[in-house]
Amino acid sequence: MKISVLQHAPSSHLPTRPGDPTPTSRNLDPLMHPFAKARERTRALNAVKLERIFAKPFIGALEGHVDAVECMSRKPESLNEVASGSWDGGLIVHDIAQRRHILKIESAHKGKVSGVCFANDGEKLLSCGVDRNIKLWNTRQQVDVDENGAGPSDLQKPLSVYPGKFAFNSIDHHRSDPLFATASSIVQVWDETKSAPISNLTFPTSTETITSVRFNLSESSVLASIGSDRTFTLYDIRTGKAERRIIMQMRSNALAWSPTFPTTILLASEDHNLYTFDIRSLTNPTQIYKGHVAAVMSCDWSPTGLSFASGGWDRTVRIWEEGKGTQPEVYHTKRMQRVSSTLYSADARFVLSGSDDGNVRIWKAKAHEKLGIIDTRERAAIEYRESLKRRWKMDAEVNRVARSRHIPKPVYKAAELKRTMLDARKVKEERRRKHTRAGDSKPKAERKKVVITEQT
Amino acid sequence: MDSLFAKADAIRPLAKRRKTDKDDSRGKSKEKKKKDSADDQTLGSVALHTALPKSFRSLPEPEGSTKAYLHIHNKKLRTQLTRQLAHSARAKALVKDAELLLAEDAGKIEVEGEMEKTWRVGQEDVIKASGQEAARGRKEYALDGGPYRSRYTQNGRHLAIVGKTGHVSTFDWQTGTLHSELQLRETCRDITFLHDHSHFAVAQKKYVYIYDRDGVELHQLKSHVEPTRLEFLPFHWLLATVGNAGYLKYQDTSTGQLVVEHRTKLGACNTMTQNFHNAVIHLGHQNGTVTLWTPNLPDPAVRLLAHLGPVVSVSVDPSSGGRYMATAGQDGQVKVWDCRNWKGAIRQWTARGGNAELEWSQRGALAVASGGTVNIYTKPSIQSPFAGVVNPPLYLTHPIPHRPLTSVRFCPYQDILTVGHSTGLSSILVPGSGEPNFDSSEADPFENSKARREREVKALLDKIQPDMITLDPEFVGSLAPEPKLTTATHDTHDIPFSRLPRMERLRVSGKADETEDVSGGEIEGEDDDGETKHRSSKAEKEKKKMRGKNKSIKRYLRKQRKNVVDPRAVAVREKLEKQREERKRNQAIASGNAESQKPSALDRFKRPS
Repeated sequence: MKISVLQHAPSSHLPTRPGDPTPTSRNLDPLMHPFAKARERTRALNAVKLERIFAKPFIGALEGHVDAVECMSRKPESLNEVASGSWDGGLIVHDIAQRRHILKIESAHKGKVSGVCFANDGEKLLSCGVDRNIKLWNTRQQVDVDENGAGPSDLQKPLSVYPGKFAFNSIDHHRSDPLFATASSIVQVWDETKSAPISNLTFPTSTETITSVRFNLSESSVLASIGSDRTFTLYDIRTGKAERRIIMQMRSNALAWSPTFPTTILLASEDHNLYTFDIRSLTNPTQIYKGHVAAVMSCDWSPTGLSFASGGWDRTVRIWEEGKGTQPEVYHTKRMQRVSSTLYSADARFVLSGSDDGNVRIWKAKAHEKLGIIDTRERAAIEYRESLKRRWKMDAEVNRVARSRHIPKPVYKAAELKRTMLDARKVKEERRRKHTRAGDSKPKAERKKVVITEQT
Repeated sequence: MDSLFAKADAIRPLAKRRKTDKDDSRGKSKEKKKKDSADDQTLGSVALHTALPKSFRSLPEPEGSTKAYLHIHNKKLRTQLTRQLAHSARAKALVKDAELLLAEDAGKIEVEGEMEKTWRVGQEDVIKASGQEAARGRKEYALDGGPYRSRYTQNGRHLAIVGKTGHVSTFDWQTGTLHSELQLRETCRDITFLHDHSHFAVAQKKYVYIYDRDGVELHQLKSHVEPTRLEFLPFHWLLATVGNAGYLKYQDTSTGQLVVEHRTKLGACNTMTQNFHNAVIHLGHQNGTVTLWTPNLPDPAVRLLAHLGPVVSVSVDPSSGGRYMATAGQDGQVKVWDCRNWKGAIRQWTARGGNAELEWSQRGALAVASGGTVNIYTKPSIQSPFAGVVNPPLYLTHPIPHRPLTSVRFCPYQDILTVGHSTGLSSILVPGSGEPNFDSSEADPFENSKARREREVKALLDKIQPDMITLDPEFVGSLAPEPKLTTATHDTHDIPFSRLPRMERLRVSGKADETEDVSGGEIEGEDDDGETKHRSSKAEKEKKKMRGKNKSIKRYLRKQRKNVVDPRAVAVREKLEKQREERKRNQAIASGNAESQKPSALDRFKRPS
């Protein structure tokens, strides 16, 4: 008869030398791990609660403007330089890493600065205003600097001034050539070296005011504009013509080309929604982004093209994922007023918002992200928590915690009211349909309602 | 140009080349042509260094993963589901591989002939055969103030003992370090460690008291009056007590709250155990019933008339995931129950001396202490159904002359059984009772104080809420059953389409995936009859549902059918199947469809069927 009795050799389970880590052993038999699923769910719940606890997105405010910040622009190939123009005519180039001014021009324009952008060499800055001028500035001219980092303003003179006939609403620089486009009652293309526009672009029947104009980032001769008569127009500067135009239900306030999908464009609309369009088929948007409770005033893509930020008349900044039309991340503070410009940083980690109170605010793009150095173990823990959240996002409790946001009471009430009104509208529509002859009025998909007509 | 192509050809994957080399069916001339490129110097030199290491190569696709979701139209969803399925199948295979890494072997007693019986082996033989380390498990603690009860920590390293007259002691039995020793001078009925050896609770004359490792009284739980039995649910941090008043109370030891108290309405209760796998409390009562309790139900989840007299001991099998329960009554019977199907005990027998104490070990050995002996039975025999009231084959037996035997406890991760009796405790060796491979993340007998602290914090963070305790612990993370209620009357809705729930909306628009079987998991691929379950849609099931004829007899038969795989029934079924095959073949031969096999010289080695 063979008899053997279980015995654990302490030598294989204890550290061989003092200071060594204790050896661990694993047994993956599920019977050895009772309640594995329930415990993992608890962990996921804790992870998502931690996420909400650490969701402190506000980093800081960049002061300097006296009036509302109207426009912002990121310097190409730079992580920290951002230019902003204000209603008081001031123009500031911020260093967002150090939170100081690189350049501050007190009165760049008379009246508001309506557009600002960097030239493609990065040294020069273009601004346009309602004073019918476009000005070219050198951002590297500072010699003596004050405590705020900005030099004496009376020394600051533009390199050149391009006079126009109308008040300008927007400006954008060509990706590679020394060309830029402006929006006034028509779209004009300028050469940096010439004081008059080299071409005027307009749709034949257009009588509108163009509010914004943007060059496509990869097909760089394609230009898109939005106008006050609810239109979105595509131009090609090689042919010098407007190619296509759509008229929508409500006017758009801002537009942005996707940096990674050249055919995708984002429109921030007056009807509280954002729309992405594929310009190959403009009959209906690819996605409607619903969340704002007032007009959306500005939008900007993340450089990764996976998300974008938008700022609205409802005093909130929202961060959206591309393709997910609901439940955006909401940022707000007590002192932030209507957000008129938003900007993603070049590393996609930060979002900037310029608002009516004259501040440029820096936010984290991911509200719960930890800034600063993260060691390997912490990184592993963070990644584990992220995967837990992904895995358990269908759990009702986990999802409820993950979705919960504190939003200001006026926004909450406005959302509630909006929902009630939309529901009532829907009910009315259904009742009307019920009492018309069968098949007479068919329900129309939300997406099909956006565009009224397309013109070529 | 051709030379350029040839150069480009050099960077072909290795596998392709091997295939062409092996393929003999190709013509000779082709073979020759291929050979030129195969002998390519460039390839030969490059291949060695550019081949992907084995560990980096992707694992082979598991079987059937590509076909499972063909019915789903959405391409994106289908790809995602297929990927998930492949991933889980691969993970399963890898887990199986990981079993090779289990280092330690379980203890055992192997017989070499029919005439050798394991129960003839005494403790002296076991000690002689066992190693020096293992032999230290055999101990006799001679103590006054008996009868004694004992309890191990989850990692099996520490032992707490309590005598009827108030002698309490906790110690590390391996090193012999005494943590605390108390003379409480009042009746003590039970003891249990809390999450680890740093705290323990004692059921004393009036209340439950909690002491720390050094024996300092920390809490007096006044709401637990006259407690008789204690259980600690480690993953929920609940201390469950039952007392002479018949109240089952749950105290959360992490927050200190009394979570819930259930009135059993069955009088004083002296028998309690927990199912380690679903944290359900099993109580045995004076009138012979066994009740199963969870904190969120005010009534027992299961009520079972187990014995004709009072129930004296209950134990649940941890080796089968809590599937089997053993009960012992004052009527001298020991019964084994299947917790999935309460219709009658699987097996019952009479324990000599009555009043048996029961305990099931980690690997499924059942210790029955009754009269003056401890008998140990092992797994397949006690869990297979047997009609007669006959003792199952005995594995080990050990006489203890100090009656009564009041408690039996197996030491986790050791082959040790500790029996409490009137003059102290005896630890005996039971080869094969303990789980040989522990998992350090769950319970580690060799952990140091730092690891213990770490585990305490981790366990607190992973604490499961008390209302998550149910009979089926797998409900977490599974899909809720599809609601049977519908708003449709005669398949037409009054509610407008846009306000219908999602499932109804999909159904109306004909996009609902009715083939999805929500209730059945992937596990039960095989039915009782060994045929794979046919996946049919709900509508089809409804259509084929039997109505009318012979309903009552069908229902009766269905209820009689046991939800248990009986090895004998399986064997009989196999035999019948074989005979049928034989008959069919003979018929085929007779009708000339098939030719009979020619007798072979090797037939003499065939086993007669």
